[in-house]
Amino acid sequence: MEFLLEQLANWQFYLIGAYPKGALTGLVLNIVLAVLSIVIGLFFGIIFGLGRISCRRYIRHSCGLCVDVVRSTPLLMIIFWFYFFLPVVGARLPLFWCAVISLSVYAAAYQAEIVRAGVLAVPMGQMEASLSTGMTRLQALISVILPQAFKLMLPSFVSFFNSLFKSTSTVYIIGIVDLTRTGIIISQLKPNRIFAAYICMAIGFWVVCYALSLAARILEKKLGILDYESYKPEICREDLVLLPLPKTVKRFLVSRK
Amino acid sequence: MKFLNLRYEFDWGIPFREPFLGWLITGVKLTLLIAAVTAVTSLLLGTLIAIMRVSRFKLLNIPAKIYVETVRNIPGLFWLLFFYFVFPQLLPFGLTDVLNQYSHYSIIAGILGLTVDNSAYVSDIVRTGIIGIPRGHIEAAVSTGLNRIQQVRYVILPEAFRTILPPLGTRMIHNFKNSSLCMAIATPELTWATQQVESITFRGLEVTFLATIFYIGLSMIMAMMIIRLERRWKIEITSITSMRE
Repeated sequence: MEFLLEQLANWQFYLIGAYPKGALTGLVLNIVLAVLSIVIGLFFGIIFGLGRISCRRYIRHSCGLCVDVVRSTPLLMIIFWFYFFLPVVGARLPLFWCAVISLSVYAAAYQAEIVRAGVLAVPMGQMEASLSTGMTRLQALISVILPQAFKLMLPSFVSFFNSLFKSTSTVYIIGIVDLTRTGIIISQLKPNRIFAAYICMAIGFWVVCYALSLAARILEKKLGILDYESYKPEICREDLVLLPLPKTVKRFLVSRK
Repeated sequence: MKFLNLRYEFDWGIPFREPFLGWLITGVKLTLLIAAVTAVTSLLLGTLIAIMRVSRFKLLNIPAKIYVETVRNIPGLFWLLFFYFVFPQLLPFGLTDVLNQYSHYSIIAGILGLTVDNSAYVSDIVRTGIIGIPRGHIEAAVSTGLNRIQQVRYVILPEAFRTILPPLGTRMIHNFKNSSLCMAIATPELTWATQQVESITFRGLEVTFLATIFYIGLSMIMAMMIIRLERRWKIEITSITSMRE
């Protein structure tokens, strides 16, 4: 117990490491990684998500293929791909950017699905109405469809950010000193403090994730989209579109009677 | 073989050379084993917790809620590390030594960690399924004279599992992908094997490529199986929804 208190008194090391003097490590690095990769991922996610519902077949299928391939690869494999592949192409990036790129690729694929689901959830009449007022498809998309879709997507984004934040703990494997690595280092330096170090690590992740899940729940309630308690399982069947499968295969499977 | 002006000569013989081939095959077997075992155990544990969570007894309800909130808000990697490094030390003395000397403990730790991580998500999914069952069905079960356990066994769970099959399947695919995290605790599964080949030969791309193909292929096969299963059970689902109207 006194070990735990001693470690908790040391909270600054878990939070930022030796930041002003040394490199930024610890929980703040996790948050920085998650925020950076969700912002970069959002940019590409919108492009790929809109590409997946494009009316041109070659755009739709190629975007769908990219998204499905990334979604059915483990995050660890994506990280290793960029870790090994970037030096081969000739780009010698620092570890931090290597982690950011692989996490953003991962985030982009999942956010593309969220964007697609959000845009498809906007009623079809909105598009028709804006086309009939003389807008082009792009104008309609930017000024009518996307603002409504973003409102629908917001809770999913927050809960995805939660899961992405948890996934950032994975990058410790390629040698980034995040909260997980901090806890491991302390538990290796002082083997009798191992339990305290792990509890501190867990508390760090728990506080951030719990705050995020509370935020997601409040957003859902406030926007009245998906009330957590009256969640109807029929909606779960929409998850079918979230399975990592090419659209053609799905259509083949579903339409065959 | 040289293309794209890469500074890398591909040597596709490497994955098929001993001892690397043996490692990769063991890795594939272990990945499949871990994914299958954790799918079953987390489904059992998750269902138990979901039933506890919807029960009216505070003694069952609150611990289940605490469990889910704790596990869901901590990364899966933490649970793997916890079960590998910390869990043996929490046990009474004799057991610690036994576990530390047991050479396959990393596999067991991987299974335990993934089970704990996945069971929280599974329990949330199962709970939404249970909540979504129309009140009339449970009343009908009561009026035919089923006791509480029989209601759960014959009415609630079969209906719940039909409706939640797609999200549950997605979760199991996630679990399969998460099994690659076991390499952090040196479980000799596929990802670990590719890293081992990389660290010995400095030729990681070929094996990583093959492993990625394996992961993508198997996830897609699992997704396809889930869609087939859903179609086979579809009649019951439509009848449930029509009765809810």
